[in-house]
Amino acid sequence: MFKNYLKTAWRNLINTKFYSALNIVGLTIGLAVGMLILIWVQDELSYDRFHSKGDNIYKVNASIGTGASKQVWGGVPGPVAAFALKEVPGVVSAVRVVTSYDYSVFRYKDKLLKEDFGKASYVDDAFFTMFDFKLLKGNVKTPFPNDQSIVITESTAKRYFGNEDPIGKILTGDSKDPYTVSGVLADFPANSSIGGDILFSMNVKKKQYTGKDFWKSMDQDWGNYYTTTFLKVRPDASTKAIADKLTEIHMKNQPGIKPTDGVFQLQALKDIHLYNPDGTSAGIQIVKIFSIVAVLILLIACINYINLSTARSMLRSKEVSVRKIIGAERSQLFMQFIIETVLCFLIALVLAFLLIYAVMPVYNSISGKQMHFDLFNANVWQVIVLTIIATLVASSIYPAMLLSSFKPINALKGKVAGAGNATFRKVLVVCQFAFSVGLIIGTLIINKQLQYIHSIQLGYDKEHVFSLPMRAMQDHYEAIKAELLSHTEIKGVSTGNTSVIIGNGSTSDTDWDGKASDVSLLISPFDMDKDFIGMFKLKFAAGTGFTGVKSDSAHYILNETAVKLAGIKDPIGKRFKLHNTDGTIIGVVKDFHFASLKQTIEPAIFSYRPSSWQMFVKTTGKDAPAAIKLVEKYWKQYNANFPYEYSFLDDAYNEMYKSEQHTSTLFNMFAGIAIFISCLGLFGLATYTAQIKVKEIGIRKVLGASVGDITTMLSRDFLLLVLLAIVIASPIAWYAMNKWLMDYAYRAEIHWWLIAVAGGGAVIIAFATISFQAVKAALANPVKSLRSE
Amino acid sequence: MIKISNLEKFYRTEEVETIALNKLSMEVATGEFVAIMGPSGCGKSTLLNILGMLDDPDAGSYVFNEIEVAHFNERKRADLRKHNIGFVFQSFNLIDELTVFENVELPLIYTGVAASERVKRVEEVLDKMQIMHRRNHYPQQLSGGQQQRVAIARAVVNKPKLILADEPTGNLDSSNGNDVMELLTDLNEQGTTIIMVTHSEHDARYSHRIIRLLDGQTVMENIMV
Repeated sequence: MFKNYLKTAWRNLINTKFYSALNIVGLTIGLAVGMLILIWVQDELSYDRFHSKGDNIYKVNASIGTGASKQVWGGVPGPVAAFALKEVPGVVSAVRVVTSYDYSVFRYKDKLLKEDFGKASYVDDAFFTMFDFKLLKGNVKTPFPNDQSIVITESTAKRYFGNEDPIGKILTGDSKDPYTVSGVLADFPANSSIGGDILFSMNVKKKQYTGKDFWKSMDQDWGNYYTTTFLKVRPDASTKAIADKLTEIHMKNQPGIKPTDGVFQLQALKDIHLYNPDGTSAGIQIVKIFSIVAVLILLIACINYINLSTARSMLRSKEVSVRKIIGAERSQLFMQFIIETVLCFLIALVLAFLLIYAVMPVYNSISGKQMHFDLFNANVWQVIVLTIIATLVASSIYPAMLLSSFKPINALKGKVAGAGNATFRKVLVVCQFAFSVGLIIGTLIINKQLQYIHSIQLGYDKEHVFSLPMRAMQDHYEAIKAELLSHTEIKGVSTGNTSVIIGNGSTSDTDWDGKASDVSLLISPFDMDKDFIGMFKLKFAAGTGFTGVKSDSAHYILNETAVKLAGIKDPIGKRFKLHNTDGTIIGVVKDFHFASLKQTIEPAIFSYRPSSWQMFVKTTGKDAPAAIKLVEKYWKQYNANFPYEYSFLDDAYNEMYKSEQHTSTLFNMFAGIAIFISCLGLFGLATYTAQIKVKEIGIRKVLGASVGDITTMLSRDFLLLVLLAIVIASPIAWYAMNKWLMDYAYRAEIHWWLIAVAGGGAVIIAFATISFQAVKAALANPVKSLRSE
Repeated sequence: MIKISNLEKFYRTEEVETIALNKLSMEVATGEFVAIMGPSGCGKSTLLNILGMLDDPDAGSYVFNEIEVAHFNERKRADLRKHNIGFVFQSFNLIDELTVFENVELPLIYTGVAASERVKRVEEVLDKMQIMHRRNHYPQQLSGGQQQRVAIARAVVNKPKLILADEPTGNLDSSNGNDVMELLTDLNEQGTTIIMVTHSEHDARYSHRIIRLLDGQTVMENIMV
């Protein structure tokens, strides 16, 4: 019996090559794209879930301030971990991770390699026991036998030592500090939020506190929120109680701190990839949107299948009735049609696998991920099985029920109840196009927002500015600056500890005249020389900038937000204290965007430092290569041991929106594919309609209808459906995209014409698809079509 | 074998109600060969469909092998049909996707006959119909006469007690038509009851009895000698 089903199914597939091809192509693309998106979603959801004790690990965040000035910060002060372990019941272990910016190059014998910024960290010893990162060589209990020990990842070891045993080898940081490799860590998984190449002992960081500054030691420094702190807690412990206890300890240990200044919160380890510290979306929104997109694309592909098979059911009615007359039961016929669908799906599935394999490299580069499509991976099968079962059920049952329900005697005469059920098919076509139009609108809005981000008035000028670490040049900064400025290719030179694009951490270590007892201010400090403000074209709202006089070291410049949140009236000349330095406010700069546009502008404070570690050079687009060469001359003179490195601020800026770029590119593709699959279905339906109306078209032509009349007749119904789809999809897409835009502090406006463009596009594409068939049918010789009846 | 009494069937469209069978009564004995004749629209095909349990009557009684089947549901009718009745149509109604062998095999598959037994029985009947040499061809590759022989083979492979033939020679030339009538006569002589709807007086002469219908009623019965 089964063999018979399969045989019939196969022969049917072969005999109707055109429709089979439409069906299989649509299903293949739908399945492949649906699975690709779901693999992406699964990858996003898999972040930080591979730790065996992960359910009990939390990151400590700090919520600072109240009301409008409330900020939730992902870093906490250094003492939190130590106190948590000592004084908070329920905490089993604590680990701090602090990014190290101490070295940018390491040397092994003759090999000098540059290390990317932010890829080195200080960690507590418990790092190796709390997490499941695998120490391939070395001792988990004493990973750092002394403070000159480092643990490196496997691939870092390969880069420096090739196949030699790394243990005991010496890496020299910035050509001055020797470190002995005491451990080799398996590379961090791609889906780990914690990563890097080189790990130092936390003791190295602790030693940077000399005891002479305001904060005497790392374990006393309650003012700087810079450690990423993880706590492993007992399974039965209350996270709320632990966080409250930490807040209480903070109050006790830092004089003058009140609960309104800030409280600690715990965030589950598995949430840190997709949620910001304040609980807003850091990607979960996109994960949700993409999941929906995957379902929509699969549905579109299923609808194609259902529409084509039911539309063509009329042609199968004779076969069904003959089978019934000679003894087939309904259940047997039902099975037969299910098997036909399964066969179609299996072929599409195999093709989809091949397609996925083929496009995976491109997909990885577009999405900025390293995903693998491995048929031996259980996770991949989760996606496959889920997709297949859902789509198979969705697309097989209705056609099978319809086809097996034919009354034999009617079906033999060509009177088929269900096949005339064009209403159902129309509903499906409307759904299909509603999905497509929705995706097109989504794509347009995402693109619009990205354009907006690029065009927004950032409040500063970053054009043609590149930056570099000065190293030994720092001691000769003034002389180098003077010489560089004598060249026409160089329009400006300045120094600062951080660029205008992105701030450099925050501190709550502030005081000012008239500070209300319930106000706390988390502020981003910028160190700069006197030319920084002018070079980046920051504008003053009041007061003046630094002039380079000695007294500037006790001068501060605030941004408008800082003044507003601090509640300072007439700020010029008022006292302001940052860390332990009292000073006077001499100016207020207009707000500028020194973080991603997803965030609102936060408070900023400028301090005067005649020389900082970083140099900024402004040039012009045309002169950039010459300017880079000029600076290189000084680099070689002073930093001969280091490879020359520089980067343009424009690139750094674009880097901030990389994930949006990825999202936008993917969305463009998905929307394109959705409309393509929809059009395949429409093309099939149009072909079918033209076929069954062959006689009507013939008669109309004999009676004098023009090609235009016939084309209109065949296209009108379909276009009405597409219009209906636009009407349904527009408000829904509008609403959904508005929600997405809520993630951004600064949003592009959604104009009505975006909807019109999306709708118009859909109509044009649909019309092009249909009219091909319609014109072909209209051009056919009526005598021929009438005779063929 | 068959006894119908006061059988009624109506066809309704939105505005018109057509009477297809009007209190029709008749009997067919086991082993009989009956021809049903009459002008287009007289109810011949409707009657054949009801006799074949493809359709149900609106009123009246239909006793098949001493079982009242007029009110059977579709499932029960299908079950009774597949074990007892074979059909032969004017337009053959073979399944295009299946070969000659597979078309004839199909009823056996649906009645759950084992594969080895199926091969034996299909070959036997193909042999009898003299189309064994065409067993692996598809219907489109056969002449009309050959197609009808396959259709008859398919109708008899399950050894039905009754064969219903709806203008079995309507699409054939006279020579092929005669062959088909000879085949049906042979089957009848071997004990199968045959009821045949036809327009052809020539074909009707092969039967034992002609029932003439007009407007859904019996108007005349001729006994053939």
